[in-house]
Amino acid sequence: MESAVRVDRLEKSLGPNKVLRGISFEARRGEIFGLLGPNGAGKTTTLRIICTLLAPDAGSVEVLGFDTRTAPAEVRRRVGVVTAEIGIYPRLSARENIAYFAELSGVLDGELDRKVDGVLERLDMGSFAKQRAESLSSGQKQKVAIARAIVHDPPVLMFDEPTSNLDVLASREIREFMVESKSRGKCVIFSTHVLHDAERLCDRVTIIHEGRVVGSGPTADVRGKFEDLEDAFLSLVEAS
Amino acid sequence: MKAVAIVFRKELREILRDRRTMIAIGLAALATPIVLYVISQVTVRSATQTYTVGYKGEMPAGLDILFNATSLKLEQVADPVEAAKAQVDVGLVFTPRGVDEYYDPTRQSAQITDIRIQTVVSRYDAAKIAATLQERGVDPSVLNPLPVTQHPLTSPEQAAQNAFLSFFLPYMLITMTLTGGLSAALDTSAGERERKTLESLLLTPAPRSQVLVGKILAVSVVGLAGAMVAIVSMLVALSQIKFGAQGQPTHIVLTPLAASVMVWLAVLLAGAFASITITLGTLARNFRQGQAYATPLYFVTIFPASLVLFIPDFNPSLGYYLIPILNAVLVLRDAIVHNSVAPAALAVTSLSLFVTGALCFYAALRLFTREALLVRS
Repeated sequence: MESAVRVDRLEKSLGPNKVLRGISFEARRGEIFGLLGPNGAGKTTTLRIICTLLAPDAGSVEVLGFDTRTAPAEVRRRVGVVTAEIGIYPRLSARENIAYFAELSGVLDGELDRKVDGVLERLDMGSFAKQRAESLSSGQKQKVAIARAIVHDPPVLMFDEPTSNLDVLASREIREFMVESKSRGKCVIFSTHVLHDAERLCDRVTIIHEGRVVGSGPTADVRGKFEDLEDAFLSLVEAS
Repeated sequence: MKAVAIVFRKELREILRDRRTMIAIGLAALATPIVLYVISQVTVRSATQTYTVGYKGEMPAGLDILFNATSLKLEQVADPVEAAKAQVDVGLVFTPRGVDEYYDPTRQSAQITDIRIQTVVSRYDAAKIAATLQERGVDPSVLNPLPVTQHPLTSPEQAAQNAFLSFFLPYMLITMTLTGGLSAALDTSAGERERKTLESLLLTPAPRSQVLVGKILAVSVVGLAGAMVAIVSMLVALSQIKFGAQGQPTHIVLTPLAASVMVWLAVLLAGAFASITITLGTLARNFRQGQAYATPLYFVTIFPASLVLFIPDFNPSLGYYLIPILNAVLVLRDAIVHNSVAPAALAVTSLSLFVTGALCFYAALRLFTREALLVRS
């Protein structure tokens, strides 16, 4: 499978804290790649560097051949990010929220309605598309956040703890959406500390702890002789 | 530049749906006429109000007529000194030598009564002297060897209007430009962090400078609208409300030059304030913190207008027109009071306000591109 995101010896400090200490991994098209680790391991910082919000102190990141330092706008055009914090504009409708990000992501005027309608239909949002975001439920808001991240049809999708604030039903919809995106050939990077989810969904995983990679490879290989990924994870973290 | 238009359109739509901004603008439209009506009633009332003079002793003949004609009510009291403390506004004791006046200068009514008494007594003295001289066959004009005939270039009513407008109009213009756009500015800057929308916004390929320009333009338009609504409502109110004493009421009007200068300054101030408040909002983590950062701006805006109120003839050098806000107040005062504005003063003022806005835009852009903006949030 073709490489979509290549992270090479990434280092990053935030203030006095050295958050990343030489992280390397590769995520491919048509797979769900798990970025696993406890809270504070450096997962969010890694994702923020991949999507150009933060600059690395050392190392490099390439997204579909574009370097995040030299071609940040090209990278942003090719990435969609969904985070746990569902930040949407409360006084805009669900549709207006999605259309705003579509326009800013470079969707052309002639294609705008078609793309927005397409994503509304795909995520089954028709019933609340015209409703103001402030009146939506958490699950509906999360759908708006996903829709806004994918409306420009990016080949790379990143999910940063996407289910941490959601109920069981909404969480399942997110998982289903990730699987569907994978089947469409997208590169899906799934950052989570919920190892049960990762084990079910991810084709390959990288486990990071205190800014370092402590395990990496196909999910089954990383689990290895252990009963589940959680045991393998604890073993790797303790050994590091 | 497409992103500027996209952000501008979205911000304006959100602002128009924000009750806080709409309430601020609506209150400005309503509050100004109410405040002006109250001021007009107070001025009319203090000009026509009757004050009480407590007196003791033999009052000279005819003086009582002058007192009554000046809305001073005479009341005989046993002790004018004690009465002047509360019972009456001024106490008078007529003696063979003259008259002793007792009043409390801390009471405004006593001050006004004192001025009226001085006027009445000086008129009485002049009439008495003139009558005595005429009885003795002397022309009373010998007492006034150099008579002065005054030719005021503006009427006293016009002077009063100008004094009022030169303080109130800049004050309204500056305060409403700031207040009208403040809520929108904080919402579009600190609010982005508070709602957690900032990260998603910065993830788009739109250049951050264009995003910021779109935001500043939207806030400028709202600030300008707030100022215009307040000023139009003020001018409409001024055209309807009469000021001054009954019998010589006056309406206050704005000259075309002053109106043009006001609109131009409002545009510049709206841009500068939008940049300043968005910069402060970008520094803040949430709306409330943004409000705390912006509060000192109110003092900055009230001070220059107060300067014109307390020093109406303040005639500064061109260098003073470099000071933002103060320069707008001075230019507006010149336009209102003198109906003329020095081109150099207007040019320096415009440049100063433009540079202030540009510097704040640069500061906001630097903040907008700092990693700390995301990490702190």
